[in-house]
Amino acid sequence: MFCFKKQRVYAVLLVVILFTTIFSGCSRKDMGEAQVMAEEKEKLSTIRVAKQFGLVYAPLMVAEKIDFFSKYGLKVEWLTLGSGGTVREAMAANELDVAFMGIPPYLIGWDKGLPAKIAAGYCVTPVSLVAYDENIKTIQDFKPEHKIAVPSPGSIQHILLSMALKKRVGDPNALDDNLVALPHPDGAQAMLAKKDVVAHFTTPPYLFEEMEQPGYKVVLDGFDAFGQDFNFNVSIVTQSYHDNNPQGYAAFVQGLNEAMNWVNEHKEETAELLAPEFKIEKEKLLKYLTAEGVNYTTAPYGLMGFADFMKEAGYIFRVPERLSDIAWENILAQVGKREGGSCTLEKIQWSK
Amino acid sequence: MRDFLWKIAFILVAAIIWELIRLAGGYPKLLFPGVGSIAIALWTERLDIISKTLFSLKIIGMGLIVAIVLAMLGTFISISGKFFAEIVTDLMAIMHPLPGIAILPVAILWFGIGIKAILFVIVFSAVWPLINHFYTGFRSIPVNQLEVGRNLGLAGWELAMKVMLPASFPHILSGLRTGWARAWQASVAAELVFGAAGGQGGLGWYLYKKRFMMETPGVFAGMLIIVLIGIAVEYLIFAGVEKRTVRKWKTIIS
Repeated sequence: MFCFKKQRVYAVLLVVILFTTIFSGCSRKDMGEAQVMAEEKEKLSTIRVAKQFGLVYAPLMVAEKIDFFSKYGLKVEWLTLGSGGTVREAMAANELDVAFMGIPPYLIGWDKGLPAKIAAGYCVTPVSLVAYDENIKTIQDFKPEHKIAVPSPGSIQHILLSMALKKRVGDPNALDDNLVALPHPDGAQAMLAKKDVVAHFTTPPYLFEEMEQPGYKVVLDGFDAFGQDFNFNVSIVTQSYHDNNPQGYAAFVQGLNEAMNWVNEHKEETAELLAPEFKIEKEKLLKYLTAEGVNYTTAPYGLMGFADFMKEAGYIFRVPERLSDIAWENILAQVGKREGGSCTLEKIQWSK
Repeated sequence: MRDFLWKIAFILVAAIIWELIRLAGGYPKLLFPGVGSIAIALWTERLDIISKTLFSLKIIGMGLIVAIVLAMLGTFISISGKFFAEIVTDLMAIMHPLPGIAILPVAILWFGIGIKAILFVIVFSAVWPLINHFYTGFRSIPVNQLEVGRNLGLAGWELAMKVMLPASFPHILSGLRTGWARAWQASVAAELVFGAAGGQGGLGWYLYKKRFMMETPGVFAGMLIIVLIGIAVEYLIFAGVEKRTVRKWKTIIS
């Protein structure tokens, strides 16, 4: 009997050890330091970038099509991932080196210890709350039965709505029970079908498509809610990639700058190149690319402006003390540090 | 009860193994939260979790009742004639393999975004396994038992309640178990995919929100609640029903 028990103990121990080794096998931390170094060297010239869909990703799509990176010796592995949440999870799991996301989703990740910082601003574009109900003219007009579509909880759209609500109603969570999480295309479809959803907080091209409909109007402008311009997305690079692949990092930032500039200087060619990808006519795409308020830029805008509000409203628990907590050196150098009071570029990182 | 305690002990052992793996691997909290932080998440969010759980249980209960009624109707129709039996069997063969979540896009188109779409998915997910088990149950009633019943002068409703129901109850019970599990899966999956509306959401919506806020301990807390409810329903409801019915009637081996 004693013998039998002992065997059972051994069996349990064996299972525990087996599981532990299997799981730590997945972790790169347990590998020898030298092995990691060798692996990083091999990876030197590749970078894993997540791309998403939307007009704002036009420079990224151009960068992939024309390939602005290989001349710097950088090979980009493009990954297409569903939602912003998946992108962040992939980054936390070290399956991804670069991701593009709104400042609020990044801050939520940063707050929870996601080891990544901002490597570039990524575009400034209109983002607005659209409604078709004629009784809804401002955000104060929403009734409990009105559903408002946002891409996800904690998205830039959700935070902008909360910011505006805090300013005008005093309660950032006043409309939380009205929110429906729908990806942009589904939200636009629900809006056009005039079913369930009466308002949609969205971005181009969905914003432009909805505004083309008679009776659809902007109830809340994102820039008004924030007080000034802000990057719609930022480009995030992981700590490990930034530290272990300085060349790859520099090449990516420079390639991205070139792609961005190329789009600005060749809007017609961009429209021609990407019309099949977006499945709309070239003329329509050109109209969208040149619409008022769309700014293809890698300059940082409003990086610090969301944090204080998000902490106050309970979305995050800590606030970056200085820009260097959330941005890499190239951003810090762009913004600068004026002696004796902030300069313009420093000022525009905070919201008004 | 002993079984229930065993399950609790199993969970405790699992928690210890979990902590061992976490400490051995040196994983960040983001990927592998500790048991402590999950417990803290459970405690600090208890009100939210309770209201979300009640909401989930409410819609699952509603969905299951509708599904059971539909499944009974389907079973009665199919035992009332060979022609109907074939129709129901064919329909089951087509619909049963279809995951409830796969019909969510259609449900949204038909019923819009809200409880109705989720209810539809729950009913759809639960009704086919229910019909399957109910029908199998009625068909597996031994003919000699039926005849003994008839010889004793039982007929109609009495025959159904005194002979047919006890004889087919093991199948009915396993049908209810499957239906319950499928209903849970459907409700959580539906809310995870399309997010529900903030005010009216169940545990799936809770998981969704926690995921997007990157609160991994909260995600695990939600999953733990789902597991615990599953265990509680199995041991407090199904095991009890089993003891009072099929074990008492000795239709299955104890």
